Amino acid sequence: MAENATSSEDFIPAGLAALGIEADETELAVMAAFHGLLWPPLVELLALDTRDVEPERCPDLSKAPEA
Amino acid sequence: MSEPLDLGLRAQAAAIAAGDVDPRELLDAALARIEQRNPALNAVVETFPERSREMLAAAPQGPLRGVPLVIKDEWPLPWRAQRFGAAELIAPTAPGESGPYRALRDAGATIVGVGNMHELGAGSTGALSCYGAARNPWDTERCPGGSSSGPAASVAARLVAGAVGADGLGSVRFPAAYCGLTGLKPTFGRAAMQGHHMAPITSLIVSGPLCADAADCRLLGSVLCGEELAAGDAGGLRIGVVRDAVSEDVTPEVAAACEEATEALRAETGGEIREIELPDLEPATLAALLTINAEALSGATPQKLNRLSPELSPIARGTLKYGMLLPAAAVAQAQRLRTLMRRRLAALFADVDVIAWPTIPAPAPPLEAPVVELPSGAHSADQANVRGGALANLSGIPAISVPVGLSGDGLPLALQLQAAWGADELLLDAAEALERANGRRWVDAAPPLAEASATEV
Repeated sequence: MAENATSSEDFIPAGLAALGIEADETELAVMAAFHGLLWPPLVELLALDTRDVEPERCPDLSKAPEA
Repeated sequence: MSEPLDLGLRAQAAAIAAGDVDPRELLDAALARIEQRNPALNAVVETFPERSREMLAAAPQGPLRGVPLVIKDEWPLPWRAQRFGAAELIAPTAPGESGPYRALRDAGATIVGVGNMHELGAGSTGALSCYGAARNPWDTERCPGGSSSGPAASVAARLVAGAVGADGLGSVRFPAAYCGLTGLKPTFGRAAMQGHHMAPITSLIVSGPLCADAADCRLLGSVLCGEELAAGDAGGLRIGVVRDAVSEDVTPEVAAACEEATEALRAETGGEIREIELPDLEPATLAALLTINAEALSGATPQKLNRLSPELSPIARGTLKYGMLLPAAAVAQAQRLRTLMRRRLAALFADVDVIAWPTIPAPAPPLEAPVVELPSGAHSADQANVRGGALANLSGIPAISVPVGLSGDGLPLALQLQAAWGADELLLDAAEALERANGRRWVDAAPPLAEASATEV
């Protein structure tokens, strides 16, 4: 969690500044907490090997995927 | 409970159709009961008696003629724009005829009020709302569940016999579970969604019914889907169970109730239980979160975010702004995982008819601290709940939450069943089989708040 907290200290202000988004202290605290929860599994998601998965094009979510 | 308002949805509809109940008196009774019980619940955020009476006066001879219902603050009505439980929305809204409104109107129903909801639909507890939190009729210090908090609390408190909610990551099923109701998340695209401010872009959200039991959900669900969800036979049901955190990182009471219910369902249907593998449930949950975040921020600009109302909660403001920082590569990866999970589910549904796991890992937590204690430790209820709810939305499959017991504190526990695309009817059949198996003990249970004054209004 210490690493996450450190990364949020850099990542969030830098990202907000790059996009021109303003945030007050309370919002920053919310973002840091959310980042701590979300970022580790997000990194795991990005690390999943999905090279063999051909994504559906415009999937019809009301039906099973085409084989 | 002998008052007409205490009857279930189909019983109310049948009593009106038979001339045994005057729908004008039923509407007046619903309004009076809202006035009496709602101050303790904050479930209904607005009533409009004259509009309701106009709807009733013009009601056609539909399957819900004269039955009062509550609709979530997620759709416009001709006389009211939705607020989505929030002081401000990124998307513009205006009064209008939404799909659920038209479906209810054309079925002859009377919309008696608008149900509270978790702010921006972004929570599983109902603890945050621009109207103030809705409260759980089973214990008003507890969360009613979200985001369809008001619809669920309204039905559980017998203000009405049915309500329309919406489900983007579990938002019908969680409040159904917390409030001891049956809640159906239909197959994606099957139920009316027109007029929802995210309808053009969402790949996750559906409207869905919240009622006391499965037969009532079948009736209201048929109206929302615009087609009959015909009753069938769940005989020989093949029930898949997953040995994963979603089914095992739950309180002992939840585990016991859900295992007992699953076995009862197997016995009632003469079916079988099969252990199945469904890897990557945790990343699939994140994939659903990333997807709904990207869709919710459609149309958002830094300028808009810099002008967010200070009346939005800091949590909403912070998470909206943080959402702009999430990498596009993760959203793309989420879509690949979505495909993978859909293919895995399609393969699994060749071997099982339904997948069963707990709807919620723990009963409703306190409103003041929505945290649940699980074998893995303390978690926010949102974090714990979403891992059981998100898969159905990510993949598009239907799911239903069914009450299966009460905790030692007298709070409802619930089992979730998920089926293949378009098998909504089978879920209702299975839920009815489960009700038969347990003698309707849990669907007929009413919270003390509803029983104490049942004879007063």
